[in-house]
Formats: sequence, structure tokens, C-alpha cells
Amino acid sequence: MRYNKIMKLSPRVKIGLIIVLLIAFFIVLNLTSFSKEVKNFFYLISSPIQKTLWRAGDNLSDFFEVISEIEKLKKGNEELLLKNQALLAENTRLKELKKENEVLREALEIGLEKEFKLLLSEIRGKDISQDTLLINKGSKDGISKGFPVITQQKALIGKIGEVYENFSKVILISNKESSFDVKISDSDIQGVIKGKGNLKLFLDLVPQEKEIKEGNLVVTTVLGGIFPKGLLVGEIEEVLKSDIQPWQEAKIKPAFDIKELETLFILINF
Amino acid sequence: MKKILILIPFFYILTLFQTSFFTHFNIFLEGGFLGWALNLILIAVILIMVFDPHTKIGVGAAFIGGFFLDIFSENFIGFHILILVIFAFFIKFILRKYVR
Repeated sequence: MRYNKIMKLSPRVKIGLIIVLLIAFFIVLNLTSFSKEVKNFFYLISSPIQKTLWRAGDNLSDFFEVISEIEKLKKGNEELLLKNQALLAENTRLKELKKENEVLREALEIGLEKEFKLLLSEIRGKDISQDTLLINKGSKDGISKGFPVITQQKALIGKIGEVYENFSKVILISNKESSFDVKISDSDIQGVIKGKGNLKLFLDLVPQEKEIKEGNLVVTTVLGGIFPKGLLVGEIEEVLKSDIQPWQEAKIKPAFDIKELETLFILINF
Repeated sequence: MKKILILIPFFYILTLFQTSFFTHFNIFLEGGFLGWALNLILIAVILIMVFDPHTKIGVGAAFIGGFFLDIFSENFIGFHILILVIFAFFIKFILRKYVR
């Protein structure tokens, strides 16, 4: 009888009744521990499948992650290579600066800057057969013909010959056309240094009565006004004495080593 | 009734995939897919309703799908059922009024 009454209800009422009953069922289910038991049952029977699916998903996501990482790594590698190149370039520049700094420091230690106004320059070319050097400073840097050129150890190299806008030629003291006044260090013996070419130097015009020995140091004098006084020219290597000549001659070993030369100082004001 | 019986293991497997397999992929996580988490159960319910709009199977599918989602989630049993069934009725209403 009651069942027939329910069957006669309209569909909307039936749906509403079902929803209300379901809500009531779920409220009761969740308020009691029954829901926990239901969940526990499903977890128990699903655990092996879940474990397998979890591992498969983990592996597959790892695989895709590796693929996407490869692209990232490739990009990162390219960026690092570029960065590395930039750092290498910077490193080279810093090394050059360090070298320059060391040269300047050495010059400072011997007090070169107090005596003269200096300009640091680098050698760009060496022409031993002509006894000339090419340096990277020119008229743009205030260089003029005749400026003396020395090493950081205060050893005389030569003087400026041709001057270009950015470069200059240095005529070495061993050049055939080079000739200037010198004296033996710690004595009053004077003479003239003459270049013989091919890095050879000779001391000439030393009176016969004056005694010069091997190992004596030769320095510049102010006579002639070509170079400032006290610059080291070289060391007497061999004394060439001849009774028939009024002057004695000596072979001089230059104070600089052409192979080691890389940086020079130009005396702008002396 | 036969279709409903087929839907039970289907939604059970689908929920297992949703909760154990696809959780490793970003689009199935919160905010991963257009700011939402991609829900396979919801997609399945929509597809069933679109391809079989004249039967009540869609609402049944929403009930079963919601039930399994509730089982494998932290929510109380009935939470997803309620949402999916209401959603199913809404789609049914839309389809009836505007599509066919």
C-alpha cells in the first residue's frame, strides 16, 4: 500500500526524496566509523595496483623530466661556454695589466718616476738587423723624435727615431748611427759610445793613460744633451788597447737583453 | 543497468590512475592546467553525458566517479558525489535546453 503511494509520486518529488535520503545516508556514514572502514577496504584491495601505478608514473615523469632537462642543460652549457670565453678574455687582459703593474712597480722601486717624467710603452716589433724597435706609443701620446728610451732597470735602450701617430721607432744605442758621451761609473774617465750594428757597442775616445777594466760600468753623461746623466749603458767586456792609437777602445756588453725586452719607458721630460 | 555495472570498474581504475599515476605530472596537480588540476573523472562524466544524453547513465557515472574520488581523497564520502551529481544535472539541463 505504502509502496504504491511512493510509486504514484511525481518524478521531481522522487528525485528530491532520493537526494534527501542520500544526503542523510552520507551524513550518517561520515559521522560513524563506517566511512573509515569503507575507505580502508578500498585502500587494502587497491594497494598493489596503486604501488605499480605510482612507480610507473614516477619513472615516466622522471623520463620526461630528463628530456626537458637535456634542453635546459644544452642551453646552460652554451651560456657557460660564452661566459667562459668572456672570463678567459678578461683573464688575459688582467694578466697583461698585472705584468704592466709589475713593471711600473719595479720602476717605482728604483725611483724612476721621481727623476723623470715617464711613459710606459710596449714593443710591437724588433728589427735586430737595423737595430730598431717598434713601440706602441706615437705622436698622439706626446712622443717626439729624440726622446730617450730606457728599461725599468734604468738601462739605456736608445732614442726615438721616426714618430707615427700611434707608433714610434726606437733607434737602439747599438745602431751604426748612434753615438753619445759616456763615462765610467765612479770615475772621471769619459768616452764616446758608438754603435756598430747587430747589437754591438764600442767605447771609444778614452785616453790611453786612463785605466779601464773589464766589468767597469758605463753610464751616460749630460754632455751633448742627448741623454740625461746616470743611465746605465753597459759593462766593459773587453779592453782593446793599441800603442799606435792615441785612444783606447773597449767592447761593451749592453745593459739590456733584447730577447727579454717587452716593455719600455720613454723619458718625456728630463 | 549493464552500462552502470561496466562503469564501476572503469571509474575505479580511472580514479587509481588519477590518484597514483597522473599525480606525477604537473597538469594533474593544483594549478597545473590553466590554473586548475586536470580531473579525469570529471572529463569522463562530461564525455559520457555528451555522447549519451538521453539516458540517466550520466548522473550514475557522476555518482560512481564521485564515490571513488571520495574514497581516494581526504574529503568525507559524499563530497565529490554531490559536486559531480549537481554538475551532471547542470550539463543535462544545458544540453536539453540549448543543444537538442
